[in-house]
Amino acid sequence: MSAGLRRGLADFACRALQATLPPSLHSWGWAVRCETAGIPDDTKALLFALDSVCGLMPRAVASHLLQPFASLIGDGAPFSEGSTSMTVFDAAMRRPRAVGVACAIGAVVLGLAHMVIAGAPTRYLGVNVGALVIGLTMLALIGRTAPTGRQWTGGAILAMAAALLATALAGIEVEGVLRWVRIGGFAIQPSLILLPLMIVVFSQARSVVATAGIIVAAAAMALQPDRAMAGMLVLGLATLTLLCRDRQSIVALAASVAGFAVTLARADTLLAVPYVERVFYSSFDAHAGAGLAVLGGLALLLVPAIVGWRRDAGNRVAYAALGAVWLAAIMAAALGNYPTPMVGYGGSAIIGYALSLLALPKRAGVHAGVASRTHGETDSTLSDRHLLVGLA
Amino acid sequence: MSRTRALSPHARTVLAVLLDAGGQWSHGYELARLADVKSGTLYPLLIRLEAQGYLEAEWQQPAEGGRPPRHAYRLTATGVQLARANPPGHAVPPAGRRREATI
Repeated sequence: MSAGLRRGLADFACRALQATLPPSLHSWGWAVRCETAGIPDDTKALLFALDSVCGLMPRAVASHLLQPFASLIGDGAPFSEGSTSMTVFDAAMRRPRAVGVACAIGAVVLGLAHMVIAGAPTRYLGVNVGALVIGLTMLALIGRTAPTGRQWTGGAILAMAAALLATALAGIEVEGVLRWVRIGGFAIQPSLILLPLMIVVFSQARSVVATAGIIVAAAAMALQPDRAMAGMLVLGLATLTLLCRDRQSIVALAASVAGFAVTLARADTLLAVPYVERVFYSSFDAHAGAGLAVLGGLALLLVPAIVGWRRDAGNRVAYAALGAVWLAAIMAAALGNYPTPMVGYGGSAIIGYALSLLALPKRAGVHAGVASRTHGETDSTLSDRHLLVGLA
Repeated sequence: MSRTRALSPHARTVLAVLLDAGGQWSHGYELARLADVKSGTLYPLLIRLEAQGYLEAEWQQPAEGGRPPRHAYRLTATGVQLARANPPGHAVPPAGRRREATI
Protein backbone atom coordinates (compact mmCIF):
# COMPACT_ATOMS: atom_id res chain seq x y z
CA MET A 1 0.00 0.00 0.00
CA SER A 2 1.41 3.33 -0.98
CA ALA A 3 2.07 6.09 1.54
CA GLY A 4 -0.49 8.31 -0.11
CA LEU A 5 -3.16 5.63 0.09
CA ARG A 6 -2.42 4.98 3.75
CA ARG A 7 -2.63 8.67 4.50
CA GLY A 8 -5.82 8.97 2.47
CA LEU A 9 -7.41 6.03 4.27
CA ALA A 10 -6.49 7.52 7.62
CA ASP A 11 -8.07 10.81 6.67
CA PHE A 12 -11.16 9.06 5.33
CA ALA A 13 -11.55 7.14 8.59
CA CYS A 14 -11.26 10.35 10.58
CA ARG A 15 -13.86 12.09 8.41
CA ALA A 16 -16.23 9.16 8.80
CA LEU A 17 -15.78 9.33 12.53
CA GLN A 18 -16.43 13.08 12.55
CA ALA A 19 -19.59 12.59 10.54
CA THR A 20 -20.87 9.98 12.98
CA LEU A 21 -20.09 11.63 16.28
CA PRO A 22 -22.92 13.59 17.93
CA PRO A 23 -22.63 17.37 17.66
CA SER A 24 -21.44 17.85 21.22
CA LEU A 25 -18.40 15.70 20.47
CA HIS A 26 -17.41 17.08 17.10
CA SER A 27 -14.38 18.68 18.67
CA TRP A 28 -13.15 15.23 19.65
CA GLY A 29 -13.51 14.14 16.03
CA TRP A 30 -11.37 17.07 15.05
CA ALA A 31 -8.90 16.16 17.79
CA VAL A 32 -8.42 12.66 16.37
CA ARG A 33 -8.16 14.00 12.83
CA CYS A 34 -5.58 16.65 13.70
CA GLU A 35 -3.58 14.26 15.85
CA THR A 36 -3.56 11.72 13.03
CA ALA A 37 -2.43 14.35 10.59
CA GLY A 38 0.45 15.25 12.91
CA ILE A 39 1.89 11.71 13.00
CA PRO A 40 4.83 11.62 10.58
CA ASP A 41 4.73 7.87 9.88
CA ASP A 42 1.91 7.00 7.46
CA THR A 43 1.38 3.48 8.81
CA LYS A 44 1.25 4.64 12.40
CA ALA A 45 -1.11 7.42 11.42
CA LEU A 46 -3.42 4.93 9.71
CA LEU A 47 -3.36 2.60 12.72
CA PHE A 48 -4.00 5.51 15.07
CA ALA A 49 -7.00 6.60 13.01
CA LEU A 50 -8.44 3.10 12.70
CA ASP A 51 -8.03 2.41 16.40
CA SER A 52 -9.79 5.65 17.20
CA VAL A 53 -12.63 4.75 14.89
CA CYS A 54 -12.94 1.32 16.52
CA GLY A 55 -13.09 2.87 19.97
CA LEU A 56 -15.41 5.77 19.28
CA MET A 57 -17.64 4.59 16.45
CA PRO A 58 -19.72 2.11 18.46
CA ARG A 59 -20.53 4.82 20.97
CA ALA A 60 -21.30 7.27 18.19
CA VAL A 61 -23.69 4.77 16.59
CA ALA A 62 -25.27 4.09 19.97
CA SER A 63 -25.78 7.81 20.38
CA HIS A 64 -27.69 7.96 17.10
CA LEU A 65 -29.76 4.90 17.93
CA LEU A 66 -30.74 6.56 21.20
CA GLN A 67 -31.70 9.76 19.41
CA PRO A 68 -35.45 9.00 19.74
CA PHE A 69 -34.91 9.15 23.49
CA ALA A 70 -32.92 12.39 23.29
CA SER A 71 -35.34 14.20 25.55
CA LEU A 72 -34.65 11.61 28.18
CA ILE A 73 -30.92 11.13 27.89
CA GLY A 74 -29.59 14.24 26.17
CA ASP A 75 -27.36 14.63 23.16
CA GLY A 76 -24.12 12.69 23.27
CA ALA A 77 -25.25 10.81 26.31
CA PRO A 78 -23.35 7.61 25.57
CA PHE A 79 -20.19 9.55 26.17
CA SER A 80 -21.18 11.87 28.94
CA GLU A 81 -20.90 9.37 31.78
CA GLY A 82 -19.09 6.60 30.03
CA SER A 83 -22.00 4.17 30.03
CA THR A 84 -25.07 4.26 27.83
CA SER A 85 -27.12 2.03 30.05
CA MET A 86 -26.34 4.05 33.14
CA THR A 87 -27.32 7.28 31.41
CA VAL A 88 -30.63 5.85 30.30
CA PHE A 89 -31.03 4.66 33.86
CA ASP A 90 -30.39 8.16 35.20
CA ALA A 91 -33.02 9.59 32.93
CA ALA A 92 -35.54 6.91 33.78
CA MET A 93 -35.11 7.54 37.48
CA ARG A 94 -36.47 11.02 37.05
CA ARG A 95 -39.81 9.24 36.71
CA PRO A 96 -39.90 6.67 39.52
CA ARG A 97 -43.55 5.81 39.06
CA ALA A 98 -43.00 5.18 35.36
CA VAL A 99 -40.12 2.87 36.29
CA GLY A 100 -42.49 1.03 38.62
CA VAL A 101 -45.04 0.66 35.85
CA ALA A 102 -42.39 -0.67 33.49
CA CYS A 103 -41.28 -3.19 36.11
CA ALA A 104 -44.86 -4.25 36.71
CA ILE A 105 -45.41 -4.85 33.02
CA GLY A 106 -42.10 -6.69 32.76
CA ALA A 107 -42.93 -8.90 35.73
CA VAL A 108 -46.35 -9.79 34.36
CA VAL A 109 -44.87 -10.58 30.95
CA LEU A 110 -42.27 -12.84 32.57
CA GLY A 111 -45.05 -14.43 34.57
CA LEU A 112 -46.95 -15.12 31.36
CA ALA A 113 -43.83 -16.68 29.90
CA HIS A 114 -43.55 -18.89 32.96
CA MET A 115 -47.15 -20.00 32.70
CA VAL A 116 -46.95 -20.67 28.98
CA ILE A 117 -43.84 -22.80 29.42
CA ALA A 118 -45.33 -24.58 32.41
CA GLY A 119 -48.56 -25.33 30.51
CA ALA A 120 -51.00 -23.22 32.52
CA PRO A 121 -54.57 -22.84 31.17
CA THR A 122 -54.91 -20.02 28.67
CA ARG A 123 -57.60 -18.43 30.82
CA TYR A 124 -54.97 -17.77 33.48
CA LEU A 125 -52.97 -15.66 31.07
CA GLY A 126 -56.02 -13.58 30.20
CA VAL A 127 -56.83 -13.01 33.86
CA ASN A 128 -53.34 -11.75 34.64
CA VAL A 129 -53.32 -9.44 31.62
CA GLY A 130 -56.75 -8.15 32.53
CA ALA A 131 -55.63 -7.52 36.10
CA LEU A 132 -52.62 -5.59 34.83
CA VAL A 133 -54.84 -3.38 32.70
CA ILE A 134 -57.21 -2.82 35.61
CA GLY A 135 -54.37 -2.10 38.03
CA LEU A 136 -52.61 0.38 35.78
CA THR A 137 -55.90 2.08 34.95
CA MET A 138 -56.67 2.46 38.64
CA LEU A 139 -53.16 3.77 39.24
CA ALA A 140 -53.60 6.38 36.54
CA LEU A 141 -57.02 7.45 37.75
CA ILE A 142 -56.24 7.54 41.46
CA GLY A 143 -52.83 9.07 40.89
CA ARG A 144 -54.44 11.89 38.98
CA THR A 145 -57.54 12.56 41.02
CA ALA A 146 -56.89 11.46 44.61
CA PRO A 147 -56.78 14.28 47.13
CA THR A 148 -53.84 14.48 49.48
CA GLY A 149 -53.64 15.21 53.18
CA ARG A 150 -53.56 13.27 56.40
CA GLN A 151 -57.29 13.45 56.93
CA TRP A 152 -58.07 11.83 53.58
CA THR A 153 -55.35 9.18 53.86
CA GLY A 154 -56.35 8.32 57.42
CA GLY A 155 -59.94 7.80 56.34
CA ALA A 156 -58.88 5.79 53.32
CA ILE A 157 -56.69 3.49 55.42
CA LEU A 158 -59.50 2.98 57.90
CA ALA A 159 -61.96 2.18 55.11
CA MET A 160 -59.57 -0.35 53.58
CA ALA A 161 -59.00 -1.91 56.99
CA ALA A 162 -62.75 -2.23 57.41
CA ALA A 163 -62.91 -4.07 54.08
CA LEU A 164 -60.24 -6.50 55.27
CA LEU A 165 -62.09 -7.03 58.52
CA ALA A 166 -65.30 -7.67 56.62
CA THR A 167 -63.48 -10.27 54.53
CA ALA A 168 -62.26 -11.98 57.70
CA LEU A 169 -65.80 -12.08 59.06
CA ALA A 170 -67.89 -12.74 55.96
CA GLY A 171 -65.57 -13.78 53.15
CA ILE A 172 -65.38 -17.08 51.29
CA GLU A 173 -64.33 -19.79 53.71
CA VAL A 174 -61.91 -22.52 52.67
CA GLU A 175 -60.95 -24.97 55.41
CA GLY A 176 -61.50 -22.37 58.12
CA VAL A 177 -59.61 -19.62 56.30
CA LEU A 178 -61.45 -16.48 55.16
CA ARG A 179 -59.25 -14.48 52.82
CA TRP A 180 -61.31 -14.14 49.68
CA VAL A 181 -64.42 -12.46 48.33
CA ARG A 182 -66.21 -13.30 45.09
CA ILE A 183 -66.55 -10.46 42.59
CA GLY A 184 -67.71 -11.01 39.01
CA GLY A 185 -67.22 -14.75 39.19
CA PHE A 186 -63.65 -14.41 40.45
CA ALA A 187 -62.44 -15.10 43.97
CA ILE A 188 -60.11 -12.24 44.80
CA GLN A 189 -57.94 -11.67 47.83
CA PRO A 190 -58.58 -8.12 49.11
CA SER A 191 -55.57 -8.14 51.42
CA LEU A 192 -53.17 -8.53 48.49
CA ILE A 193 -54.78 -5.55 46.82
CA LEU A 194 -55.26 -3.26 49.79
CA LEU A 195 -52.58 -4.03 52.35
CA PRO A 196 -49.55 -2.95 50.26
CA LEU A 197 -51.35 0.28 49.46
CA MET A 198 -52.25 0.82 53.09
CA ILE A 199 -48.65 0.37 54.21
CA VAL A 200 -47.13 2.68 51.63
CA VAL A 201 -49.78 5.32 52.25
CA PHE A 202 -49.20 5.03 55.99
CA SER A 203 -45.48 5.50 55.40
CA GLN A 204 -46.20 8.88 53.86
CA ALA A 205 -48.97 10.28 56.04
CA ARG A 206 -49.40 8.94 59.55
CA SER A 207 -52.17 10.06 61.85
CA VAL A 208 -54.22 8.69 64.71
CA VAL A 209 -56.97 7.60 62.31
CA ALA A 210 -54.46 5.93 59.98
CA THR A 211 -52.83 4.15 62.91
CA ALA A 212 -56.23 2.91 64.02
CA GLY A 213 -56.75 1.58 60.49
CA ILE A 214 -53.47 -0.33 60.62
CA ILE A 215 -54.41 -1.85 63.97
CA VAL A 216 -57.73 -3.00 62.50
CA ALA A 217 -55.89 -4.47 59.51
CA ALA A 218 -53.54 -6.36 61.83
CA ALA A 219 -56.55 -7.78 63.63
CA ALA A 220 -58.12 -8.76 60.32
CA MET A 221 -54.98 -10.63 59.25
CA ALA A 222 -55.01 -12.49 62.55
CA LEU A 223 -58.67 -13.39 62.15
CA GLN A 224 -58.51 -14.58 58.53
CA PRO A 225 -55.78 -15.86 59.32
CA ASP A 226 -53.11 -14.88 56.77
CA ARG A 227 -49.54 -15.38 57.87
CA ALA A 228 -48.09 -13.96 54.66
CA MET A 229 -50.01 -10.71 54.81
CA ALA A 230 -49.43 -10.38 58.55
CA GLY A 231 -45.72 -10.79 57.85
CA MET A 232 -45.95 -8.15 55.15
CA LEU A 233 -47.48 -5.79 57.67
CA VAL A 234 -44.70 -6.48 60.18
CA LEU A 235 -41.87 -6.08 57.70
CA GLY A 236 -43.33 -2.91 56.19
CA LEU A 237 -43.95 -1.29 59.55
CA ALA A 238 -40.62 -2.42 61.01
CA THR A 239 -38.87 -0.76 58.10
CA LEU A 240 -40.91 2.37 58.63
CA THR A 241 -40.17 2.39 62.35
CA LEU A 242 -36.46 2.04 61.73
CA LEU A 243 -36.50 5.05 59.44
CA CYS A 244 -38.99 7.31 61.25
CA ARG A 245 -39.14 6.19 64.89
CA ASP A 246 -42.36 8.04 65.66
CA ARG A 247 -45.08 6.97 68.06
CA GLN A 248 -47.62 6.04 65.40
CA SER A 249 -45.18 3.75 63.62
CA ILE A 250 -44.23 2.02 66.85
CA VAL A 251 -47.85 1.50 67.90
CA ALA A 252 -48.77 0.14 64.48
CA LEU A 253 -45.72 -2.14 64.51
CA ALA A 254 -46.64 -3.50 67.92
CA ALA A 255 -50.16 -4.29 66.70
CA SER A 256 -48.84 -5.97 63.56
CA VAL A 257 -46.40 -8.10 65.58
CA ALA A 258 -49.25 -9.23 67.79
CA GLY A 259 -51.34 -10.11 64.74
CA PHE A 260 -48.46 -12.00 63.18
CA ALA A 261 -47.92 -13.92 66.39
CA VAL A 262 -51.54 -15.04 66.29
CA THR A 263 -51.17 -16.29 62.71
CA LEU A 264 -48.04 -18.19 63.69
CA ALA A 265 -49.90 -19.86 66.53
CA ARG A 266 -52.70 -21.01 64.26
CA ALA A 267 -52.20 -23.90 61.86
CA ASP A 268 -52.12 -23.07 58.14
CA THR A 269 -53.13 -26.26 56.37
CA LEU A 270 -54.15 -24.98 52.95
CA LEU A 271 -52.67 -26.98 50.09
CA ALA A 272 -50.73 -25.28 47.34
CA VAL A 273 -52.67 -24.33 44.19
CA PRO A 274 -50.85 -25.01 40.90
CA TYR A 275 -49.46 -21.91 39.14
CA VAL A 276 -50.35 -19.77 42.17
CA GLU A 277 -48.31 -21.13 45.05
CA ARG A 278 -45.05 -23.03 45.31
CA VAL A 279 -44.20 -21.52 41.95
CA PHE A 280 -40.55 -21.17 42.94
CA TYR A 281 -40.24 -24.95 42.86
CA SER A 282 -42.80 -25.99 40.27
CA SER A 283 -41.48 -23.57 37.65
CA PHE A 284 -38.00 -25.09 37.68
CA ASP A 285 -39.57 -28.54 37.59
CA ALA A 286 -41.35 -27.54 34.38
CA HIS A 287 -38.37 -25.93 32.66
CA ALA A 288 -35.32 -23.91 33.60
CA GLY A 289 -36.63 -21.09 31.39
CA ALA A 290 -39.85 -20.95 33.39
CA GLY A 291 -37.88 -20.84 36.62
CA LEU A 292 -35.66 -18.06 35.37
CA ALA A 293 -38.71 -16.09 34.22
CA VAL A 294 -40.15 -16.39 37.72
CA LEU A 295 -36.93 -15.25 39.36
CA GLY A 296 -36.52 -12.39 36.90
CA GLY A 297 -40.09 -11.24 37.37
CA LEU A 298 -39.81 -11.27 41.15
CA ALA A 299 -36.53 -9.37 40.99
CA LEU A 300 -38.25 -6.72 38.87
CA LEU A 301 -40.76 -6.13 41.66
CA LEU A 302 -37.97 -4.87 43.88
CA VAL A 303 -36.16 -2.80 41.28
CA PRO A 304 -38.14 0.45 41.76
CA ALA A 305 -37.51 0.33 45.51
CA ILE A 306 -33.82 -0.51 45.26
CA VAL A 307 -32.88 2.02 42.62
CA GLY A 308 -35.16 4.65 44.14
CA TRP A 309 -33.48 4.20 47.51
CA ARG A 310 -30.10 4.72 45.92
CA ARG A 311 -31.00 7.54 43.58
CA ASP A 312 -33.76 9.60 45.16
CA ALA A 313 -32.74 10.34 48.74
CA GLY A 314 -35.69 12.65 49.33
CA ASN A 315 -38.23 9.82 49.10
CA ARG A 316 -36.38 6.96 50.77
CA VAL A 317 -39.16 6.15 53.21
CA ALA A 318 -41.55 5.50 50.34
CA TYR A 319 -39.06 3.29 48.49
CA ALA A 320 -38.19 1.39 51.65
CA ALA A 321 -41.85 0.73 52.47
CA LEU A 322 -42.56 -0.43 48.94
CA GLY A 323 -39.52 -2.71 48.90
CA ALA A 324 -40.28 -4.19 52.32
CA VAL A 325 -43.87 -4.92 51.37
CA TRP A 326 -43.05 -6.83 48.22
CA LEU A 327 -40.00 -8.51 49.67
CA ALA A 328 -42.31 -9.90 52.35
CA ALA A 329 -44.71 -11.18 49.70
CA ILE A 330 -41.86 -12.86 47.83
CA MET A 331 -40.46 -14.40 51.02
CA ALA A 332 -43.87 -15.73 51.97
CA ALA A 333 -44.28 -17.31 48.54
CA ALA A 334 -40.87 -18.92 48.88
CA LEU A 335 -41.46 -20.24 52.38
CA GLY A 336 -45.07 -21.33 52.39
CA ASN A 337 -48.23 -21.94 50.38
CA TYR A 338 -48.90 -18.32 49.58
CA PRO A 339 -49.47 -16.62 46.22
CA THR A 340 -46.40 -15.84 44.17
CA PRO A 341 -46.95 -12.17 43.29
CA MET A 342 -47.18 -11.10 39.66
CA VAL A 343 -45.47 -14.12 38.10
CA GLY A 344 -47.99 -16.70 39.29
CA TYR A 345 -51.65 -16.90 38.42
CA GLY A 346 -53.70 -14.32 40.29
CA GLY A 347 -54.85 -10.80 39.62
CA SER A 348 -55.00 -9.55 43.19
CA ALA A 349 -51.23 -9.15 43.57
CA ILE A 350 -51.00 -7.51 40.17
CA ILE A 351 -53.61 -4.92 41.05
CA GLY A 352 -52.07 -4.53 44.49
CA TYR A 353 -48.62 -3.90 43.06
CA ALA A 354 -49.94 -1.33 40.62
CA LEU A 355 -51.78 0.49 43.38
CA SER A 356 -48.76 0.43 45.69
CA LEU A 357 -46.88 2.40 43.05
CA LEU A 358 -48.91 5.38 44.21
CA ALA A 359 -46.22 5.65 46.88
CA LEU A 360 -43.64 6.60 44.27
CA PRO A 361 -43.35 10.20 43.16
CA LYS A 362 -44.12 10.90 39.53
CA ARG A 363 -40.93 12.89 39.27
CA ALA A 364 -37.85 12.63 41.45
CA GLY A 365 -35.52 15.51 42.19
CA VAL A 366 -32.67 14.03 40.19
CA HIS A 367 -30.70 16.27 37.87
CA ALA A 368 -27.96 13.85 36.91
CA GLY A 369 -25.88 14.68 33.88
CA VAL A 370 -27.19 18.20 33.31
CA ALA A 371 -23.99 19.91 34.37
CA SER A 372 -21.77 17.65 32.37
CA ARG A 373 -23.89 18.00 29.25
CA THR A 374 -23.88 21.75 29.44
CA HIS A 375 -20.15 21.67 29.94
CA GLY A 376 -19.68 19.40 26.96
CA GLU A 377 -21.74 21.56 24.65
CA THR A 378 -19.93 24.71 25.69
CA ASP A 379 -16.60 23.06 25.27
CA SER A 380 -17.59 21.80 21.86
CA THR A 381 -18.52 25.23 20.62
CA LEU A 382 -15.35 26.82 21.92
CA SER A 383 -13.11 24.07 20.69
CA ASP A 384 -14.56 24.09 17.21
CA ARG A 385 -14.07 27.80 17.02
CA HIS A 386 -10.47 27.46 18.16
CA LEU A 387 -9.86 24.73 15.62
CA LEU A 388 -11.33 26.74 12.79
CA VAL A 389 -9.18 29.69 13.79
CA GLY A 390 -6.19 27.39 13.86
CA LEU A 391 -6.95 26.01 10.42
CA ALA A 392 -7.56 29.45 8.88
CA MET B 1 -24.49 13.63 39.72
CA SER B 2 -21.06 12.16 40.32
CA ARG B 3 -20.66 8.44 40.41
CA THR B 4 -17.68 6.53 41.71
CA ARG B 5 -16.70 3.62 39.51
CA ALA B 6 -13.75 1.31 39.65
CA LEU B 7 -11.05 2.50 37.28
CA SER B 8 -9.70 0.13 34.69
CA PRO B 9 -5.97 -0.61 34.49
CA HIS B 10 -5.81 1.44 31.28
CA ALA B 11 -7.44 4.40 33.01
CA ARG B 12 -4.98 4.18 35.86
CA THR B 13 -2.05 4.09 33.46
CA VAL B 14 -3.27 7.07 31.46
CA LEU B 15 -3.85 9.00 34.67
CA ALA B 16 -0.34 8.14 35.80
CA VAL B 17 1.14 9.42 32.55
CA LEU B 18 -0.84 12.64 32.84
CA LEU B 19 0.24 12.95 36.46
CA ASP B 20 3.89 12.47 35.50
CA ALA B 21 3.54 15.31 33.03
CA GLY B 22 2.96 17.65 35.94
CA GLY B 23 1.22 20.77 34.74
CA GLN B 24 2.43 20.26 31.18
CA TRP B 25 0.01 19.63 28.35
CA SER B 26 -0.02 16.21 26.70
CA HIS B 27 -1.27 15.14 23.29
CA GLY B 28 -3.25 12.12 22.14
CA TYR B 29 -0.62 10.23 20.17
CA GLU B 30 2.05 10.81 22.80
CA LEU B 31 -0.33 9.72 25.58
CA ALA B 32 -1.28 6.55 23.72
CA ARG B 33 2.38 5.71 23.21
CA LEU B 34 3.50 6.41 26.78
CA ALA B 35 0.55 4.65 28.38
CA ASP B 36 0.75 1.81 25.85
CA VAL B 37 -2.95 1.99 25.07
CA LYS B 38 -4.66 2.10 21.72
CA SER B 39 -6.22 5.34 20.63
CA GLY B 40 -9.58 3.62 20.57
CA THR B 41 -9.23 3.08 24.29
CA LEU B 42 -7.63 6.43 24.97
CA TYR B 43 -10.16 8.81 23.45
CA PRO B 44 -13.33 7.45 25.13
CA LEU B 45 -11.39 7.60 28.37
CA LEU B 46 -10.30 11.20 27.77
CA ILE B 47 -13.87 12.16 26.88
CA ARG B 48 -15.15 10.65 30.08
CA LEU B 49 -12.46 12.22 32.25
CA GLU B 50 -13.08 15.59 30.68
CA ALA B 51 -16.86 15.30 31.12
CA GLN B 52 -16.36 14.42 34.77
CA GLY B 53 -14.08 17.37 35.39
CA TYR B 54 -10.86 15.42 35.91
CA LEU B 55 -9.26 16.65 32.71
CA GLU B 56 -9.04 19.94 30.91
CA ALA B 57 -8.50 20.23 27.19
CA GLU B 58 -7.46 23.05 24.93
CA TRP B 59 -6.53 23.62 21.34
CA GLN B 60 -2.92 24.63 20.76
CA GLN B 61 -1.74 26.46 17.71
CA PRO B 62 1.16 24.84 15.80
CA ALA B 63 4.64 26.23 16.37
CA GLU B 64 5.41 25.97 12.66
CA GLY B 65 3.18 26.86 9.76
CA GLY B 66 1.38 24.24 7.71
CA ARG B 67 0.78 21.97 10.65
CA PRO B 68 -2.66 21.31 12.13
CA PRO B 69 -3.54 22.53 15.62
CA ARG B 70 -3.42 19.97 18.39
CA HIS B 71 -5.81 19.05 21.13
CA ALA B 72 -3.91 19.01 24.42
CA TYR B 73 -4.80 17.63 27.82
CA ARG B 74 -3.78 17.95 31.42
CA LEU B 75 -5.27 16.96 34.77
CA THR B 76 -7.35 19.34 36.81
CA ALA B 77 -6.83 19.54 40.58
CA THR B 78 -9.47 16.84 41.13
CA GLY B 79 -7.89 14.82 38.35
CA VAL B 80 -4.56 14.95 40.17
CA GLN B 81 -6.28 13.67 43.30
CA LEU B 82 -7.94 10.90 41.30
CA ALA B 83 -4.63 9.89 39.73
CA ARG B 84 -2.85 9.82 43.08
CA ALA B 85 -5.65 7.78 44.62
CA ASN B 86 -5.57 5.26 41.76
CA PRO B 87 -1.97 4.38 40.90
CA PRO B 88 -1.37 1.69 38.28
CA GLY B 89 -1.23 -1.88 39.47
CA HIS B 90 -3.49 -1.39 42.48
CA ALA B 91 -6.78 -2.42 40.97
CA VAL B 92 -9.28 -3.76 43.48
CA PRO B 93 -9.96 -7.44 42.74
CA PRO B 94 -13.56 -8.36 41.99
CA ALA B 95 -15.56 -9.22 45.08
CA GLY B 96 -16.17 -12.75 43.84
CA ARG B 97 -12.49 -13.59 44.01
CA ARG B 98 -12.37 -12.75 47.69
CA ARG B 99 -14.99 -15.29 48.59
CA GLU B 100 -13.70 -18.18 50.59
CA ALA B 101 -14.39 -21.64 49.35
CA THR B 102 -17.24 -23.40 51.06
CA ILE B 103 -18.15 -27.03 51.27
